[in-house]
Amino acid sequence: MTAALAAGFFTDLWSFVQDNSDELLAGLRRTLVVSVIAIGGAFFIGLILGAARAHRIPVISPLAAIYVEVIRNTPILVQIFFLYFGLTQDIGPWPGIRLEAFTVAWLSVMIWGGAFNTENFRAGFEAVPYRYREAGLALGFSRIKTFANVTLPIGGRIALPSSINTYISVLKNTSLLYVISYPELTTTALQIQALTLETVETFTVLAVSYLVIVWTMSFLIRLLESHLALPEER
Amino acid sequence: MSIPDWVEPVARYMLTEGLVGTLKIAAFALAGSVLVGITLGTLLTIKFLPLRALIRMYIEVWRGLPILVTIFIIFFALPAVSLQLEFDAVTAAAVGLILWGSAQVAEATRGAVQSIPREQHEAASALGFGWVGRHTFVIMPQALRRLLPPLVSLLVNIIQNTTIAQVIGATELLESGERQVERLTAPPPIGLGEIHAFEIYAAVMVVFFLISFPLTRLAAYLEHRLI
Repeated sequence: MTAALAAGFFTDLWSFVQDNSDELLAGLRRTLVVSVIAIGGAFFIGLILGAARAHRIPVISPLAAIYVEVIRNTPILVQIFFLYFGLTQDIGPWPGIRLEAFTVAWLSVMIWGGAFNTENFRAGFEAVPYRYREAGLALGFSRIKTFANVTLPIGGRIALPSSINTYISVLKNTSLLYVISYPELTTTALQIQALTLETVETFTVLAVSYLVIVWTMSFLIRLLESHLALPEER
Repeated sequence: MSIPDWVEPVARYMLTEGLVGTLKIAAFALAGSVLVGITLGTLLTIKFLPLRALIRMYIEVWRGLPILVTIFIIFFALPAVSLQLEFDAVTAAAVGLILWGSAQVAEATRGAVQSIPREQHEAASALGFGWVGRHTFVIMPQALRRLLPPLVSLLVNIIQNTTIAQVIGATELLESGERQVERLTAPPPIGLGEIHAFEIYAAVMVVFFLISFPLTRLAAYLEHRLI
């Protein structure tokens, strides 16, 4: 009885996937494209601002601190609303800025990921013992060369687990782009659900898709981590 | 420069309806997450494979799914399975946040409980405590100390993530702001025929910042202090 029910459900599920595969794949592709752009951007923002914070570079470091605190202490959904609905408004003589849904899509999750990554990298770079840097400088490396050859390889490894968690969160946060109707995976799934009324099938496929992506990412990451681990920690 | 007339009623609505709704959802979500999370996290330290596998599954699923998708599943998919599983928006959002939050707490609790030295378990057993008494009166009070910083961070995350309830129309701060933006955009007599999205969403960000910033400082302080 239960077995027959389950078999029936999987047959339904399979025909649902086949019927809607084009839309679902297009949605999945947009989720991945936005995530890749945002993760790449968040990596560079984190690297540069994290280094500026750890080395207390004047002007840039306090500005980066403000950026980090504002983004980390406000909900990303409100940030998306602000970028997409708030900025379009004319304020006195200033004309509003109208951003396309795609621009807001990658920009909002990139700004969010960049702020968290700045903290990840700052903590990583600050965990590098000062004497390592001293040793680099004593060998005649310039400050920049010392950073590139000493602080970055060691601190970057320390920051790796936390920054990768940030990247996974960036990918999950792309689901919030539903509120600006950007047709990524979640938005696409809800459109299909509204048309077909196949609610259980839709949400099963949606949930399984996210879990497969997120679990694959965390698995690959553990491989990368063990591959990049410092020799004494292997 | 004086404050325009439209501000006062908008602010009053957003604080009395919106902010109160946000705090209500956050309070339910925090209480549920801590209760379920600490229980599951402690059970996770028992060396019984099927139980551990089950709890592991729970943690990985609810941590892996975007909270929005979890809330959609509760709000749209459960009623499609059985009409008895129909929840209002606030409950659906709170349950979604509890599933996610309890997974976070369970993972943190496991670490905190395992960090308590073995001698404490042995001493408690020697005093005649059973498993439940040992964990309730001896292990958990010590583990809670290490659990406090992550719990404060969790509170910040829960408060921020209550905004996701806006998507299914639950009354919370962001939703109340959006309603006011729409009302003001409508032509008179209902609204002003003016767009005030910039000011209102900026105000929502300011309110969340004022709540979250002291809490993130507190979490950082506790982490520094207690470990």
